[in-house]
Amino acid sequence: MSGVNFFGIRHLSPAGAFYLEKFLDSVRPELVLIEAPSDFSDTADDIVRAETKPPFAVLAYTDHAPVRTILYPFAEYSPEYRAILWCRKNKVEFRFMDLPSDVFLALYEKRIAEEEAAESDNDDDEEIIDENAGEERSISVYDRLDELSDEGHDTFWERTLEHCADFESYNEGANLFGANIREFSEKTGRDLEEIQLREIYMRSCIRSAVGNGVAPEEIVVVTGAYHVEGLKTWENEENAPELPRTGSLHTLMPYSYYRLSTRSGYGAGNRAPAYYELIWESYRRGDRQFTANAYLSKIAEKQRKSGNAASSAQIIEAVRLANSLAEMRGGKLGNVPSLRDLRDAAETCLGEGSFAAISVAAADTEIGTKIGALPEGVSRTSIQDDFYRLLKDLKLEKYRSVTAQDLRLDLRENLRAKGEKSAFLDLNRSFFLHKLRVLGITFAEPRISDQDNATWSESWVICWTPESEIQLVESALRGDTVELAASFAIKETVENSANMSEVAAAVEDAFLCGMPSAASYAVSSLQAMAVDAASFEELAKTAFRLSSIIAYGDIRKADSAPLFPILQQIYYRACLILPGSCVCDDNASQSISEAMNLLNSVELAQGFLETESWLNALKEVAHRDDLNTRLSGFAAAVLLERNHMTNDELKIEVSRRLSKGVPADLGAGWFEGLTLKNRYGLIARLSLWESLDEYIQSLDDEEFKRALVFLRRAFADFTSSEKDSIAENLGEIWGLNGAEVSEAVNAVLDSASQEQIAALDDFDFDI
Amino acid sequence: MKQQILRLPAEKLFEEELNALIKAETEPVPQGWRMSPRSVKTYICGGKVGKTKITPKYIGHERLVEIAISTLVTDRALLLIGEPGTAKSWLSEHLAAAINGNSGQVIQGTAGTTEEQIRYSWNYAMLIANGPSEQAMLKSPVFTAMETGTLARVEEISRCASEVQDTLISLLSEKRISVPELAIEVPAKKGFSIIATANTRDKGVNEMSAALKRRFNIVVLPAPETLEEEMDIVKTRVAQLSENLDLNAALPKDAVIEKICTIFRELRQGETLDKKQKVKAPGGVLSSAEAISLLCNSMALSGSFGNGEISDEDIAAGLQGAIVKDDDKDSLAWKEYLENIMKKRGSSWSGLYKACRELNE
Repeated sequence: MSGVNFFGIRHLSPAGAFYLEKFLDSVRPELVLIEAPSDFSDTADDIVRAETKPPFAVLAYTDHAPVRTILYPFAEYSPEYRAILWCRKNKVEFRFMDLPSDVFLALYEKRIAEEEAAESDNDDDEEIIDENAGEERSISVYDRLDELSDEGHDTFWERTLEHCADFESYNEGANLFGANIREFSEKTGRDLEEIQLREIYMRSCIRSAVGNGVAPEEIVVVTGAYHVEGLKTWENEENAPELPRTGSLHTLMPYSYYRLSTRSGYGAGNRAPAYYELIWESYRRGDRQFTANAYLSKIAEKQRKSGNAASSAQIIEAVRLANSLAEMRGGKLGNVPSLRDLRDAAETCLGEGSFAAISVAAADTEIGTKIGALPEGVSRTSIQDDFYRLLKDLKLEKYRSVTAQDLRLDLRENLRAKGEKSAFLDLNRSFFLHKLRVLGITFAEPRISDQDNATWSESWVICWTPESEIQLVESALRGDTVELAASFAIKETVENSANMSEVAAAVEDAFLCGMPSAASYAVSSLQAMAVDAASFEELAKTAFRLSSIIAYGDIRKADSAPLFPILQQIYYRACLILPGSCVCDDNASQSISEAMNLLNSVELAQGFLETESWLNALKEVAHRDDLNTRLSGFAAAVLLERNHMTNDELKIEVSRRLSKGVPADLGAGWFEGLTLKNRYGLIARLSLWESLDEYIQSLDDEEFKRALVFLRRAFADFTSSEKDSIAENLGEIWGLNGAEVSEAVNAVLDSASQEQIAALDDFDFDI
Repeated sequence: MKQQILRLPAEKLFEEELNALIKAETEPVPQGWRMSPRSVKTYICGGKVGKTKITPKYIGHERLVEIAISTLVTDRALLLIGEPGTAKSWLSEHLAAAINGNSGQVIQGTAGTTEEQIRYSWNYAMLIANGPSEQAMLKSPVFTAMETGTLARVEEISRCASEVQDTLISLLSEKRISVPELAIEVPAKKGFSIIATANTRDKGVNEMSAALKRRFNIVVLPAPETLEEEMDIVKTRVAQLSENLDLNAALPKDAVIEKICTIFRELRQGETLDKKQKVKAPGGVLSSAEAISLLCNSMALSGSFGNGEISDEDIAAGLQGAIVKDDDKDSLAWKEYLENIMKKRGSSWSGLYKACRELNE
């Protein structure tokens, strides 16, 4: 007999927590050793503070990229948490005795490296070790349990141990459970290695405590039931192996029940954290029936709130049904209903036999929306402190909840507000939220604006999750405040950008975040890139982005002056390379015509740009014969629209492009380009249609077939009213009644023509 | 000796199993019951007691059976709801047989069921001759169940008119029946409860009132979850039935059962089993029960007019009748299924395809 008192627990187990307190009360030890990373001792003071409300977690993270994190969540009913509280209350010394978190992180990094070497598609960058690593991975044991108990291992655990009526049966059961799992586990070598390391370390902790003069029987060791057998041999001296280390930090963070519940799948009873809290409550009250009553009453209450009928009589019936189900199942093990019984009873009595009817209420009751809280300034990283200070400053605190909420911002100055701070509250909020977005913190998601013209309004969906807290902590590496981190992130993006529009996006981000210095950094890098940029589309897209930043800069109180020269430079370069870019096939012409459109609108929006260069470029494209004809046509269309091409010029152009001898596909391509812009302008020009008429008349049968294919395509997406107008034009030219022509043009093809046209599908253009 | 009765009640058919269970009982038996809740479950879901093998009566969803039994333990009334052919009545009969050894206290609900049939009525000759007396009273199954502390079954409760259904409301909440003519009140003995069954999908049913629903614990019986489960159910039941009916035909082969169940499941769910293709579902309900009767029917056909082995033609005739109920629409859906799905299933299906096609011209 080793003399040391071992208490085997299961993490997040109300029964474990309750009986552990009883056990400590009866043993009254001098020292309590708790299975948690030994370097977490500094968080203990904060953990026991009255303002600290579980669920919370200790998050350990590497101090270098890529950031790896591990989490140790605690709930109200975590045995470890209760043990810490008990020790503080009774002024008993306690120590954490597991491997320091940096060793865990180092092992984890090693594992990732190994896995990446083995299969390079693993990009999981987060790990939870809130459960004994060994238990977590020995899935086979739980599968086997599922098979044997036909109810799943969670229910098995709950039925067997979670409702134990006394300490002895709990302790015996938990230790047996742990020992059996230990025996049955067939682990991979890697996990076994980690468990061995941990147990060696824990055993040495016990030894050194005894060595320091604490009598073994004065020590209580609180550890996973799995490890109890392994730690009993603590007396044997053994060599401590060398432990891998890595630079790491840790912090306390608030946690949520929802997140606890999503991390199930192994032996921890946390798939229903709010329900387990009810079990905890029932232990505290000493009323074993409390869980069932509270669970079913809560479901009924939620049903009523959502407008369904749920009477007390139904609750009573549900409780009775649950009890009798438990009796059938539990037998000698005890007859307190488990979650499964309760849920089935609720389904039968409150949901009229269908779970769908109570599913929302059940999720609320089982998982709940509870989130933890920490007192201000507690062991947070400085970026967390900054984040919470800003939340308060910007009056966003009420949005820190797990239910998603909408926030609509009006970026204009609030003229009725007194101070400047409140006048621009929404603008500052927008800066803040954009910074979070840039940092990849999912606290707020921008919602696509439904009024696209309302440049002064923004819409966000805000929802706090432990994930967002973790992302925040991960950002700590990039800077001590949200602003610093965001500006670092923007610089990073700029440095890693492969093309201009990415940098332009970073510039835009910097403006959205209200960070002029980051913006000017990005702008200068943009400038360097613009010199070498060769693609017209890229330049046009970038110019368009910059132009919109300049256009909306005022509303964000941003000085867009630094953008003027760079826009000018890009614009000018785009004009210069446009003609050269127009040597392309029809597929590429699609994106170039779109880019031309963008650049055209940039030129129109920004008065300071020199119009002449753009018009000259367009004219060159419109007149040259060796470019893609579709783009030539489009350039002509832009010129027409901007009134830089007269009717006569157009007429000459039409007859030149469509004259006999020019291959029909080129002619039709040009015409198609021409129709891409401002159709009404085209339709109104009678001369155009006269030229087209002349052209068609001049074709012989074979050529006509050729041209028909392309012209059909060019006119395919004209609306019927547009076709009407064309018909009217043609009617005038041919001296016919417009209506008749319109009828002919809009008529559905008869089958003979259909066939003729179908035959054209196989038309061989190479002849 | 072959028995002369078309269908024996469950407690006779499985007398041996029931006796074995009662004999081997070790656990506490609720008042008015013949065996413990756990034994009831063994009787229904199958298992072994001593040397006697207990055949499973209800396959799949053991948890639902547990809920049903637990409901009866709490003296609450049980309402089994489900689509046609999901073994509601079957389960209710076996529950009564196991718990009381008497599944015969039944009211078969119809649109013509009256309040008297649920409470009590009179032997009018005696009533007129001697005035109201207990001898002149004709007690309903529910009345008898209350007096003896046993289970009464109400089949197809949703087919009864609403006012007749409502008779049950006060019976169930007060657990006593009053006879004003005799100025007496009969309280229910411990063990009394009601198992009702109701249909959700058929035409010609009356919606149950919320008040009545509240007095029941409701268990919804689903259609079998997997093909294997359904095949299992069909196979077991066909074997049991054919033994009773002297069909002179060989039991259907597994391949045949699989085909029938596949067709039924696909048409019921409106998609193929591999979920790759949508199927137009016919209007009627295609339950496992219908698959069972279809197979028995095919056995009868082959036994009486064929060579005793079920042929594709026998099945085709049955399928046509089961699927095409509402002439035009169903016939189209069935034709579509034949052409789009069955035709492409390869040689093992081609015989059945041809036979079906001929019938559905």
